[in-house]
Amino acid sequence: MNRSMLLAGIPLLAGVALATKAAAGDEASYTFSKPPVDSMGVKSLAELRGKPVLIDFWGTR
Amino acid sequence: MKLKEEYGDDLAVIFVEVQGADDETAEAFAWRQEWMGRGAMWTTERPVHVEGNTIPKFALLDVEGNVILSGNPLAQKKAIEEAIAEQVKRAKDAPEGTPPKVAKAWAKLAKGDVSGALAACDSLLGDGELGEAAKAARAEIEARTKARIDRGTWMIDQGLLVEAEEHLGDLAKAVKGVPELEQAVAAELERAKAPGAELDAAKDLASLLAKMRKGDPFDDKHVKSLEKLAEKHAGTKAAERAQRLVRLSQVKR
Repeated sequence: MNRSMLLAGIPLLAGVALATKAAAGDEASYTFSKPPVDSMGVKSLAELRGKPVLIDFWGTR
Repeated sequence: MKLKEEYGDDLAVIFVEVQGADDETAEAFAWRQEWMGRGAMWTTERPVHVEGNTIPKFALLDVEGNVILSGNPLAQKKAIEEAIAEQVKRAKDAPEGTPPKVAKAWAKLAKGDVSGALAACDSLLGDGELGEAAKAARAEIEARTKARIDRGTWMIDQGLLVEAEEHLGDLAKAVKGVPELEQAVAAELERAKAPGAELDAAKDLASLLAKMRKGDPFDDKHVKSLEKLAEKHAGTKAAERAQRLVRLSQVKR
């Protein structure tokens, strides 16, 4: 993972804190309200089944 | 990003901006960091939630969509790399619990042979309990293939005709021998390749984007090229995208 993208320990703004834990074994199921940029039309996590998915939370500040 | 470059299409990577930036700010930032066009996806929507109120954070899903790791990626770098390697290997196998005879269908799919995979399922449909497993596998393989066709349709509707042609071209080879799927792919491929203003604009923009991804995407030269493209191909979806990129270039750092 590119270290320049990982901002260790940067606090989130109030009100945008990440909430409940994604526990191991949980099936992640989400449909995007619009396809992510550069996804070429991926609409949901279900479409990505068949390969591992790495979700990286980052910030612009 | 290094993991994405190492594994290519075998690994999906989604970057989620979580500090409240709007879509344009987040995308402009990613462009300026020269991260765009390297295979990852970018969103401000949170497809999973991870405990804690700082970043960085991550979640890793296995090939069946289950969360297998989450937390601070800096503390779990080795575990992440090992888990991804294991999942990429596992992706070539059938889902857990698949009977060996049905697993052959998944092996064909792993090689890109949709037609062979469906035929392998069909050969087992009349076989009692095995037939049920084959039916379920067939349904899943067909659903995944139709989702790929739908993505081709989406690309065309967005004016991403160069990308659509490549995507559908690969799919056409994979579904050869399955008439219903062949026809669906062929119809979309014809749309993607239809000569006209949209295709000309899409080709020009694809060429410009390739240049933008090699260095400062929003330098004056590129911004002027985007403006000229938008003017030359006014009324096309590529022109709209070019205009959006000009707006992104103006987003404050």
